[in-house]
Amino acid sequence: MSEIDLVDGNLALKEIQKLDGHTDRVWSLAWNPAAGAGGLPPTLASCSGDKTARIWQQGPSGSWNCTAVLEDAHNRTVRSCAWSPCGKLLATGSFDATTAIWQQIGGDFECVATLEGHENEVKGVAWNSSGSFLATCSRDKSVWIWEMQPGNEFDCASVLHGHTQDVKMVQWHPHLDVLVSVSYDNSIRIWIEDGDLNGWSCVQTLGETSSGHSSTVWALSFSSGGDRMVTCSDDLTMKIWDTTNNPSEDGSWDGIIATGAADDSICLFHETKDSLVGGLSYSLILKKDKAHDMDVNSVQWNPNEPKILASASDDGSIKLWRLTQVP
Amino acid sequence: MEAPTARLLTDFLDSTVLLEQTQYEEGFKDGYRDGVASGKEEGREVGLKHGFEVGEELGFYRGCIEVWKSAIMIDPNSFSSRVQKRIGQLAELAENYPLFQPENQNVQEMMDSIRLNFKIISVNMGVKLEYEGRSRTSKQDLEDIVV
Repeated sequence: MSEIDLVDGNLALKEIQKLDGHTDRVWSLAWNPAAGAGGLPPTLASCSGDKTARIWQQGPSGSWNCTAVLEDAHNRTVRSCAWSPCGKLLATGSFDATTAIWQQIGGDFECVATLEGHENEVKGVAWNSSGSFLATCSRDKSVWIWEMQPGNEFDCASVLHGHTQDVKMVQWHPHLDVLVSVSYDNSIRIWIEDGDLNGWSCVQTLGETSSGHSSTVWALSFSSGGDRMVTCSDDLTMKIWDTTNNPSEDGSWDGIIATGAADDSICLFHETKDSLVGGLSYSLILKKDKAHDMDVNSVQWNPNEPKILASASDDGSIKLWRLTQVP
Repeated sequence: MEAPTARLLTDFLDSTVLLEQTQYEEGFKDGYRDGVASGKEEGREVGLKHGFEVGEELGFYRGCIEVWKSAIMIDPNSFSSRVQKRIGQLAELAENYPLFQPENQNVQEMMDSIRLNFKIISVNMGVKLEYEGRSRTSKQDLEDIVV
């Protein structure tokens, strides 16, 4: 991000390409973390209300194509998808209460495992940094932790109860085995393995009284260093949390926060060092109105190409954007 | 001396003034007596029903545990070591459930813990095993109906 001067403004999100193919709203996106190295082209996974997940890849000419459609594993909306850290497995969580694990074998993606256990819609899936754990969360208010065994076998390691409503998303810390979940019950919960009978327990709950949100918390994201976490909510705010050992007012964070919302727009926020306010503050650096024709459900930065952003919408399309500076 | 006359007056009026009071006390006695009788009967019915439900569910889990333990004895490799560990944990929880202390505050939590462990074991075994027949009207379900 160093070549772009974020302070001076004149930023623009230029649409690179619009990816059509899904026949219903696109809920979620995931960039394959292993792309770039070893000859794997930039690869994006998407999942949709049309009960499928799709794989999109950038061809040598620079344009993107749908290279695989992952179907027949779910009989309801596929709500979320996530690549394992090695990039070889894709997990898809569905409203049919199951989570499917896909692997590319030959030219095709095959469903190599189906994780059952949740009582109703699976809302989120997330792999930890080593790929040994997969977390899933559901409308049944629980978070399940699955441990991967040899041969693509998954054992349920733990079932976490604590949220009092639908759990919308789970994410792992980028390098610690710390799991964070957010819910319709307005709270954020932090879970770690602690040698308890159940193995995992909730070590902190961030509710309204701990400066948390006052309505449904829809999503969260960690900074790449793991020292900051941002959560967004139905209360129309985003909150940035200090997740270091020594919370302080100093320290900076180079990341840009991208958000998509039900107003069809994409907004970008960055830290500003406002010496009048003191401490840290974040401000809006760009708003792309009408980024899509309908609600923007997911935005993801390409981890290997920092200025590239992908967005998914209720309008069934996926868009790829480049953050540029206009003179 | 006014005392005798006054007392006569009070006595005379007593039965009228205190009529409400005496009737109340009589009614209360009747109600209490009938209430104790019907309360005992209702309590017996509720206790029997609830006790049966708890007993049946706990018995189901214990039955499964017995079968699994026998399988492990015959072939120690029937299940993975982590599943066996969980079966051990479940057996301990089922053993410690206070069947004879229905007023113990922790019984709901303990039963929830047993159900959770059982669910994890059955998911890891890859079988659809579930205790059917327990009353589904839990506090949570009532909350769901209201919300």
